[in-house]
Amino acid sequence: MSVLTLTAQEEVSAPPRVVFGLFGAGAGAGWVFDAVCDRVAPGAAVTLRAPLDPAGEPVEILGRIGTLRPGRLIEIVHDQPWRGRTVLRFAAHGSGTRVRLQSELDQPGFEWLLRRRGHALRSSPGENPALGLLTSKSGPGNLFAAASDNMATLALEEINADGGLRGRPVDLVIGDDATDPATGAREARRLAAAGCRTILVATTSATFVAVSEAMVDTDVLLVQTLMNEGGIDDALRIQLGERPAAQLAAAAGPMMRSAGGHRWFLAGNDYCWPRRTHAVARELLPRLGGRLVGERFAPLGTTDFADVIEAVERSGADVALSTFVGADAAAFQRQCHEHGLHHRCLTLAPAMDESTLARIGAGATAGLHTVSGYVETLDTDGNCALLSRYRQRFGRWAPPLSTLSESVFEGAHIWFAATVRAGTDDPRSVARAMHDARFDLPRGTVTLDGNGLVGQRIHVSEAVGTELRVITPG
Amino acid sequence: MNSDLAFDALADPVRREILAVLAETEECSSGALAERITSVGRTAVSSHLRVLKIAGLVSERRAGRFRYYSVDPSGSAKDVLAVLHQVFRTGLQSVNDAVPESVNDAVPESVNDGVPESVNDGVPESTAESGDRPA
Repeated sequence: MSVLTLTAQEEVSAPPRVVFGLFGAGAGAGWVFDAVCDRVAPGAAVTLRAPLDPAGEPVEILGRIGTLRPGRLIEIVHDQPWRGRTVLRFAAHGSGTRVRLQSELDQPGFEWLLRRRGHALRSSPGENPALGLLTSKSGPGNLFAAASDNMATLALEEINADGGLRGRPVDLVIGDDATDPATGAREARRLAAAGCRTILVATTSATFVAVSEAMVDTDVLLVQTLMNEGGIDDALRIQLGERPAAQLAAAAGPMMRSAGGHRWFLAGNDYCWPRRTHAVARELLPRLGGRLVGERFAPLGTTDFADVIEAVERSGADVALSTFVGADAAAFQRQCHEHGLHHRCLTLAPAMDESTLARIGAGATAGLHTVSGYVETLDTDGNCALLSRYRQRFGRWAPPLSTLSESVFEGAHIWFAATVRAGTDDPRSVARAMHDARFDLPRGTVTLDGNGLVGQRIHVSEAVGTELRVITPG
Repeated sequence: MNSDLAFDALADPVRREILAVLAETEECSSGALAERITSVGRTAVSSHLRVLKIAGLVSERRAGRFRYYSVDPSGSAKDVLAVLHQVFRTGLQSVNDAVPESVNDAVPESVNDGVPESVNDGVPESTAESGDRPA
């Protein structure tokens, strides 16, 4: 892949050892050195807040620390909003230090920046068939989507290595909803104009609903790959992924047994998926022996959860059902841990994923549980093979896989299997071919019945450090 | 500047490579550019430059029988590259402000704290070359 490399250099009046020590120390040393990370060590998750838009919020560059040579070099391998490496080199210069920065910008990153800066880029169909991916490269959803385009890239490389669609390679076209439904709708229209007849949507349900409405007059198949509340009835809409009723039915018993109590507090972001999940919980949990003791919502993008945490504490809950997502989920969990909430109650967070866990940090995940059809540590042959191909292709510092990002890999393969079954990539035929079908995927067997209802094994998992480990057989 | 044309112009790896070289240098003669771009011949570099020029990504200055090229200062590519350069530069400029006062007067304890930049540090220097990157 072709990359542009940008460089910057600065002379600092302190020796390299001192300047190096400023990195990640929150010392007010500018946005590059004030990177947010728990520790400066290889593999540590790191967030850089780049002031790319002076009028708006900083753009978060998410990655991990790669190579580290104390006093000499820090390498940041980043995935969002584009893939690349940013390297800081420290060299003695007189009695001070010369700091040299090199940052890579690849072609997708360059195009993302052009759009972000408001430059209109034409979208016209290319020569090859195209598959769209609508994901969140910015905004609070950038965390859970960190590996989503890697997953789509890997799936299409496999599909193309097998001959592609009728002998033609399939191009991937990626859109960024910026974790905002209206932006998502605009981006979906752009992907359609670029020739995508099917778009995989791996965003919040709020975006999927908005895209679904915005595209109502177009002949484009929209496939929501990740967990969702369902409920959209249309021949050109497929909702894969875990559903709240199946997740709660699987997790309620094990959670109450582990917690040694049955009082539940529901807390989450204020949009359709958390609201629907809570509605299912209010109906289902009492039937399974649970008792509801409180409920709170906070808008997506909330950073201070003190009120919510205090309410959970006062309620005396044994289990908190957390339906926060992305950066909100990370902030909520960290703040719960600071308050010591894990000593009093367990948390079940269905949308918690490994990439978000990496941001929370190994020291603040005690008591956290999730319920999903996939975790990165899932011990299936298909998953071991996938992980090996993923690491080989994207390197050891690429973001972890999770049920949210891995669903994109599966969505692409399900789409391709359906085009083969249908003998065409016509959206209506492909949608029909996805029904009454079974697919052998890394998470195991996934079925789609005639009504589009997904069948898959659901696992309850516990956070151990930044990993999720299955604690119940599905 | 026509963004549609720019999009097409950037679809080619050689043209991206040319742009990367020009982004590093203020201005580059056609001869110097052809020396840097080794993946294709001189004639091909010229025709790629023409495409970049028409797309508004690159501007041309003639001086006698020489032609000089630079990233078009009015174009969107320039805007993006300039903003990124600026953001990274200002990101480093604040480092001085955070240096503890006591350190500024201190004599460095060891000259081995730093190493010359030419020393191989195990991390490949980024280059603007086209080609597959190691994963």
